[in-house]
Amino acid sequence: MNPKQTTILQGTLDMMILKSLVSGELHGLGISRRIEQITGGTFVVKPGSLFPALHRMEEEGWISSFWGDSENNRRAKYYKLCKAGLKQLEIETERWGRITWAISQALQQS
Amino acid sequence: MPLLAKAQSLLRNLFRSRSVEADLNEEIDSYLELAAEENIRAGMSAKDAQRKVRVELGGAEQVKERIREQRLGAWVYSVFADARYAFRQLRKNPGFTVVAVLTLALGIGCTTAIFSVVYGVLLRPLPYHDPNRILAIFEVTSKGRPSRLADPNFNDFRDQNRSFSTIAKYTQVISSVSGGAHPSRSAVAYISPDFLKVFETQPILGRDFIASDNSKGAAPTVLVSYSYWRQYLGSARDFSQLHLKIDNEIFSVIGVLPPSFSFPADSDLWIPADLTGESQSRTSHNYSAVGRLRDGVTVEQANADISAIAHRIHDSSNEKGDYLLKDGTVIPLQESIIAKARSPLYILLGAVGFLLLVACANVANLLLAQVSSRQRELAIRCALGAARRRIIRQFLTEGLLLSLLGGIFGVLGAFAGVRALVALAPATLPRLDGVSVSLPVLAFSLLLCTAIAAGLGTFAASRATSEDVRDGLAEGGRTQAGSQGTQRIGRVIVVAQVAITLVLIVGAGLFGRSLLKVLQVDPGFRVDKIVTMDVSLPWVDGEKGRTERTAFYSNLLDRLRRIPGMRNVGATSGLPLSGGHPDGMFLLMSQSEVPKDFSKFGELFQQKDRLGIADFCAVTDGYLHSLAIPLVRGRIFDERDGADNTNVAVITESLARERWPNQDPIGATIQFGNMDGDLRLLTVVGIVADTHEYGLDVPPRPTVYVNLLQRPPAAITLTMLSDADTPSVTTAARQVLQELNPELPVRFRTFSNVYSASLGSRKFNVILIGMFGITALLLATVGVFGVMAYSVTRRTREIGVRVALGAATFDVLKMVLGQGMRTVLIGVVIGVAGSLLLTRTVESLLFGVTATDPLTFSGVTLLLVATALLACYIPARRAAKVDPIVALRYE
Repeated sequence: MNPKQTTILQGTLDMMILKSLVSGELHGLGISRRIEQITGGTFVVKPGSLFPALHRMEEEGWISSFWGDSENNRRAKYYKLCKAGLKQLEIETERWGRITWAISQALQQS
Repeated sequence: MPLLAKAQSLLRNLFRSRSVEADLNEEIDSYLELAAEENIRAGMSAKDAQRKVRVELGGAEQVKERIREQRLGAWVYSVFADARYAFRQLRKNPGFTVVAVLTLALGIGCTTAIFSVVYGVLLRPLPYHDPNRILAIFEVTSKGRPSRLADPNFNDFRDQNRSFSTIAKYTQVISSVSGGAHPSRSAVAYISPDFLKVFETQPILGRDFIASDNSKGAAPTVLVSYSYWRQYLGSARDFSQLHLKIDNEIFSVIGVLPPSFSFPADSDLWIPADLTGESQSRTSHNYSAVGRLRDGVTVEQANADISAIAHRIHDSSNEKGDYLLKDGTVIPLQESIIAKARSPLYILLGAVGFLLLVACANVANLLLAQVSSRQRELAIRCALGAARRRIIRQFLTEGLLLSLLGGIFGVLGAFAGVRALVALAPATLPRLDGVSVSLPVLAFSLLLCTAIAAGLGTFAASRATSEDVRDGLAEGGRTQAGSQGTQRIGRVIVVAQVAITLVLIVGAGLFGRSLLKVLQVDPGFRVDKIVTMDVSLPWVDGEKGRTERTAFYSNLLDRLRRIPGMRNVGATSGLPLSGGHPDGMFLLMSQSEVPKDFSKFGELFQQKDRLGIADFCAVTDGYLHSLAIPLVRGRIFDERDGADNTNVAVITESLARERWPNQDPIGATIQFGNMDGDLRLLTVVGIVADTHEYGLDVPPRPTVYVNLLQRPPAAITLTMLSDADTPSVTTAARQVLQELNPELPVRFRTFSNVYSASLGSRKFNVILIGMFGITALLLATVGVFGVMAYSVTRRTREIGVRVALGAATFDVLKMVLGQGMRTVLIGVVIGVAGSLLLTRTVESLLFGVTATDPLTFSGVTLLLVATALLACYIPARRAAKVDPIVALRYE
């Protein structure tokens, strides 16, 4: 594994998946690659965690799925953001903002 | 919106699981392909690319399983899957399944049957409104025992208490009743007018009693039970012509009570208690009493209230002596009805609980063997991604399936068992009519099944998951090492089984020995070849009634004596072993001191040197002859004792010894008129041997026998000693009575039936606990055998090596037997210790043996060890015959 890569932080996987879908629908591998891309290659999502998370989020009604054709004409299952998912993303983003602020405050204390 | 989405996916998961699964498979496959293609484009060989993505995924089945587990409704699906899988498992091992289910059915069935009795008799609430607030009220005697109430004391309780909204007195008498379809001997309750209000019940037809119905000289009225109304009164709705003759008095029917109401037990008729006035004596304990608590009053408060009133009565009454109340007390009515039944029934429940434990232990042992043989299968499931808790749940499901199957068969058996129990139960057990496999009983059984399932499932699961998965996958080699833990647990189970079984059999042994001891008691009278006949005449006061009764009884006795084959006929006011006699204080007196009425008695009872206490019983000489009660000294009644001659009495040996130590009671004159209202003095003419009137296990009580033909009671029992068979005696005697008075109802019994009924509750205990004990012994034997046989099979190779190295047959035999018996002996030691602790609780039900009876303990231990030895011997012999060549090739 690339030393700069790290597994995704506990509790942020949902947020990352939601974020990756904002720009449009993606299949599983696509989501994985997109997260790598938007985090500048820092975060890698393993498929063993990705798929259970996707299925859970679908049941929560945050994302929905459909079968479509991939860029090189293979059938693949695509996921897309729902309204509830968008809302969830806002909640998580706000929460994450608070956490990072609090942690950086804590670390700046001398 | 999310809610709707959730519902949609739930429905999809539950009802379209096949397409959901296909979808998942396809998704993962397509991912793998896409990822592999990506790698190929990056320059990998196809093989390397595929390998890389598989490693990245980390096991497709595990990922899928994780997704499945978090699906909505996954538990429903997996429960079904578990159940299906469990069912398949059970079907795959029919031998195991049948044995386990039948063993559980036996345990659950017996427990359910006994619990039906416990529930029906002890726990089932009385069928009245708010039954917990109905209390039984008692006087407390100078000896501290609860007793019935005297009229003036009841009146004081009624008028002075602040705890009860209503309070009523009642008593029950068996009377001859005619006027219905045919004459009957019916239980008639004498009640005060508020009686039904205590139970908050009302006649379903007609009216309840009002105060004026109960006043002295009021027109006699009667309430009838629903069943009497149906059976004897043809369900008539017009009461104007309905009259019943009870003890020669005509009563008008005024109402019919609801079918559910039968208190006091078995009553058919209820009449006002005080039509002939109340007794003025504070020491004539004629009535029981019940009351309904006022709202907000506790049982303790009511108790204090009644006790305070009783103390006031005690302190202010001019009637003194042992028969005046010392205190008062209340107990919940249900409690007072079932008090005596409680400990025997709970002992039975405990015993059957032990049996259930032994049965479960056997099943646990079977499961243990099952689990070891499934080790490989479990390892494969784990390797394929089954979580540990999933495996645990799988075993719980299997346990539940087993115990539910066992429960179903058990409960079906219990339906038959309860019928047998009710038929077998002693007549002294109250509330038997309500004993059945009712809903609460079924709920109990279901709970029992669940508990067993949880126990067995957890046990199996803990065994199954205790070993490393990789060991399970490794082929062969470890079969011996790995079985050691299993074997140890198996032995622990056997130890427990042996210990529990020993306790159970010791209990059965103690009860059995008690019964034998009771049967050895000489009752003091003969039992065989005697037919008894209960007859009661209407009561007529005074001299005239007495003469009529004497004439009737002499006539009846004469005619009965003439029946062919009749050896002897007698009569008594109370047959032994059927309820006992009234007891009271008598006075030593001379002819010149005879009091005119009872007013002097209070004062006379103060004079201690005159006083004696005895049971009172009226008999004929024929009674003493027919029952072969031997004369010790003096004489018994004969022709000299005509109805108008000097009244004579015969006393028992124990009374002579207690009241006249070192003196001769013959010739003494006593006054015992307080028992039958006849103030003529009695001259003691003879002493007869003691008899066990109250039961073989109850010591004889000092008794005064008076001459039944001089002082005839209203109800008598005739004792007919005949060589002829019972039906012909009965027919002939019935014929005789018909000729004398066709309106008199009659009841026949054989004295030997009365005798064995008096042993009913002991026999009930012995039969049931004995049966449980034997069953437990069989189960435990199977348990010991199973564990030893399994152990020998597992060790065949080892034994083969030993034999090959020179071990003799005897050495192998000794080794296996020694190992088995060590286990059994540990169980025996624990069992003996447990028995010593537990038998103390049944001490009060034993007779002639102590709770630690050495003979029982050693006998039972011997029996158990011998049986276990046999169970170990068979596998040991097989071990001894192991052929080393075969054994070494064994694996």
